[in-house]
Amino acid sequence: MTMRKLTGLALAGALASLPLAAAEPFSHKDAFEHYEGTRTCLACHEDEARAFHGSQHYQWKGSAPQLVGAGSKPLGKINTINDFCTGPAANWIGLVKNSRGDVVSKGCSKCHAGLGELPQAEPSQAQLENIDCLICHAKGYQRDLFEKPGGGFEWKPILWKNQEGLDSVSKRVGPPQRAMCLRCHSASGGGPNFKRGDIEYKLADTDRSYDVHMGKDGADFQCTSCHAGDKHRVRGRGADLAGTDSPANPLSCSTTECHGSAPHGEPMIDRHTARVACTTCHIKTFARDEATDMVRDWSKPKYDAEADRYAATITMQKDVIPVYAWWNGKTHAQLPGEAVKTQANGTVGMMVPDGSRQDPEARIFAFKLHKGRLPVLTDKKWIVPILVEHFFADGDIFSATRKAAEETYGIADAKFEWTDTERYMGIFHGVQPREQALQCLDCHGAKGRLDWKALGYGADPLLIRVTAKK
Amino acid sequence: MHRTTQLTLAAALLASFAFAPTAFAGEPNGQDLYKTYCKSCHAAGSAHGEYTPMTLIQDQWERFYKEKYAAKHATAQMPDGRKVLEAITPEMLAKIRKFSVDHAADSEQPMTCGK
Ligand code: HEC
Ligand code: HEC
Ligand code: HEC
Ligand code: HEC
Ligand code: HEC
Ligand code: HEC
Ligand code: HEC
Repeated sequence: MTMRKLTGLALAGALASLPLAAAEPFSHKDAFEHYEGTRTCLACHEDEARAFHGSQHYQWKGSAPQLVGAGSKPLGKINTINDFCTGPAANWIGLVKNSRGDVVSKGCSKCHAGLGELPQAEPSQAQLENIDCLICHAKGYQRDLFEKPGGGFEWKPILWKNQEGLDSVSKRVGPPQRAMCLRCHSASGGGPNFKRGDIEYKLADTDRSYDVHMGKDGADFQCTSCHAGDKHRVRGRGADLAGTDSPANPLSCSTTECHGSAPHGEPMIDRHTARVACTTCHIKTFARDEATDMVRDWSKPKYDAEADRYAATITMQKDVIPVYAWWNGKTHAQLPGEAVKTQANGTVGMMVPDGSRQDPEARIFAFKLHKGRLPVLTDKKWIVPILVEHFFADGDIFSATRKAAEETYGIADAKFEWTDTERYMGIFHGVQPREQALQCLDCHGAKGRLDWKALGYGADPLLIRVTAKK
Repeated sequence: MHRTTQLTLAAALLASFAFAPTAFAGEPNGQDLYKTYCKSCHAAGSAHGEYTPMTLIQDQWERFYKEKYAAKHATAQMPDGRKVLEAITPEMLAKIRKFSVDHAADSEQPMTCGK
């Protein structure tokens, strides 16, 4: 054997052993003795904490280039209004109890990756210590809201009195797994699968027949397999979020990074991908495991005797067929402090995808169409968020709206009226095996699911093609 | 004197009724049993310490049942005077054990045993 060959072999050996060494997970067993809050992690991970502090996940606002005409102001949950839980700024943290003394609400910070402080722009020590690393990184971690000794509230591990247990859980840190992301993403909007419809808790532990990507007998992807970006900036905004972590690094099924635009080797199907998004054919229905909130009418408070709490009137639906609309990646948003713009159907579009058949960048995507009824100021026509926390306990929607107008806009004794709203939410999860994909007649048949006229076609283009040939 | 005996008897009767598994419609599950037996001594503010399933992690519960349960409760008595180790049969304890491990602080669904 020559020297050269040997070196080559050694190199190959070294290279082959590299990925193995890299895959060896780092154990935190001996990294620290006792977990004393985020401070413990900061000792070695201050860079990561600083990066996370600036993210959409922490700030709840970021650059929003995909919102049509929104300018350069950073936007996100913290300074916009939605038709689910309305606005977080006024409902941040606190315990609201019903007449029986049971807790009916803990505030919007329940879904913030912090320990209770509002996010601030400056990454001070207090802000870095406010980051809850464990909620995304530790298996078996759970937190709850507690009163602080000096007044106010904070989120703490439920094990805060059990140091041995807390040490064990906090040393289980590793890359985020599905169940950890789902702690927030499947419970948003007030209950299991209420908000999104396609990000169900079932994804924590599922099979390929439910989701080919995340099923254990499928690709067994983690959420991060698709969503991880550099430096704690996740990829993917969908169609109805405002600011984004990844304006320059979008996530899509049809880029070469994943499937490309002609994955079928079947020209009849591949010819569609320029105008029909992959998810449109591959996710036939959503909310397949648990029902999702389709209509939330805040004008009609409803008392739930079992929970002894008030809520908006919510219409739930399971196994829902999406609506279809053109989308070029941009969105028209109804922002607070701007007079509402009414769509052709008379409703206010909270988040409406931009695009049309004439727009070469647009494709037909699948959406959950969420309908709502929200208050608007009679004179200024601004949408008013609702102070939901008190409303949950007393059901007084009139004062909850008045108070909100005062807190949000500084307008006392506001006059308001009710308006119908619509939000288009992209459906991207729950891709089923290929046998379940939409068939030609699901769209081109007499009872097809596409409304050809609304999509800008005179009639079914296949029909036009066939009749033209005659 | 007479009156006190009567009262004590009534209290004992009441207590034994409250702790009799027959108080449940059908077979009591782990949660029912935990609530009836364990919670009577381990509710919030108890002198013996507050313990709900989510007070401990799964490892700690397993270790507790294996190494500590019998020793810690050797002399403990239920309010009706029965010894804890006798009042809670091995079958009941198996159900309670499963309930506490399944709903431990680091489980998928941490739980207290309810009100
Ligand atoms: C004594 C230093 C030290 C402390 C304290 C520490 N870590 Fe680490 N951590 C490391 C090292 C070293 C690595 C492996 C190298 C790397 O990935 O940067 C690591 C890796 C990680 C990873 C990546 C894991 C992976 O497999 O990709 C995460 C997440 C993490 N740490 C979170 C935490 C959290 C949360 C805390 C606080 C509970 C913490 N660490 C405390 C040193 C530490
Ligand atoms: C909202 C969820 C979330 C929170 C909260 C969070 N992380 Fe992460 N972290 C992630 C994701 C996602 C990744 C990328 C994982 C991958 O690449 O697979 C990551 C990666 C890491 C890594 C690996 C190195 C890197 O930068 O990719 C470390 C170390 C880490 N996080 C530490 C921390 C620490 C320390 C905190 C608290 C200060 C924290 N994380 C808070 C989601 C989170
Ligand atoms: C196979 C890839 C893939 C996996 C795995 C995946 N996602 Fe997504 N996700 C997407 C795509 C594609 C989008 C749309 C991105 C865009 O258009 O900006 C998306 C959008 C989102 C959004 C934006 C809001 C919305 O729904 O429109 C959230 C939040 C999200 N995903 C969370 C998750 C969570 C949590 C998991 C794990 C349970 C997960 N995703 C797993 C591909 C994936
Ligand atoms: C503590 C709750 C929480 C956890 C845990 C969490 N998220 Fe989020 N996530 C949110 C909230 C809230 C938003 C919306 C922020 C906004 O729009 O201002 C969000 C937004 C996102 C977005 C859209 C980001 C963008 O730039 O528009 C993606 C993608 C996402 N999350 C994926 C994940 C993944 C993957 C995980 C697991 C590693 C995860 N999230 C864990 C609460 C959470
Ligand atoms: C017009 C509907 C339609 C569109 C749009 C569509 N598909 Fe498909 N796809 C199908 C059908 C139908 C099948 C099943 C074909 C078969 O069984 O041979 C399929 C099969 C597949 C398969 C399985 C192929 C195999 O060999 O196992 C993959 C992967 C796939 N599609 C990915 C995509 C991606 C990625 C996109 C977007 C670029 C996309 N599809 C767009 C209808 C569609
Ligand atoms: C998700 C709904 C959907 C499904 C499923 C679907 N199509 Fe289409 N099809 C469309 C749309 C939308 C167009 C118009 C595309 C365009 O504007 O170029 C189209 C166009 C066509 C055309 C072109 C007509 C022309 O003018 O060139 C043909 C042919 C066609 N489809 C055949 C099929 C066949 C065959 C199948 C089954 C393999 C199928 N389609 C499945 C939505 C669908
Ligand atoms: C009659 C009262 C009584 C009942 C009933 C009872 N315990 Fe106890 N328990 C005690 C006493 C007394 C101690 C010892 C307290 C001490 O060490 O100060 C104890 C200790 C414990 C401890 C702490 C062990 C340690 O590590 O020190 C746990 C955990 C516990 N009990 C769980 C249970 C469970 C589970 C049940 C139901 C199966 C139960 N107990 C029923 C009285 C009771």
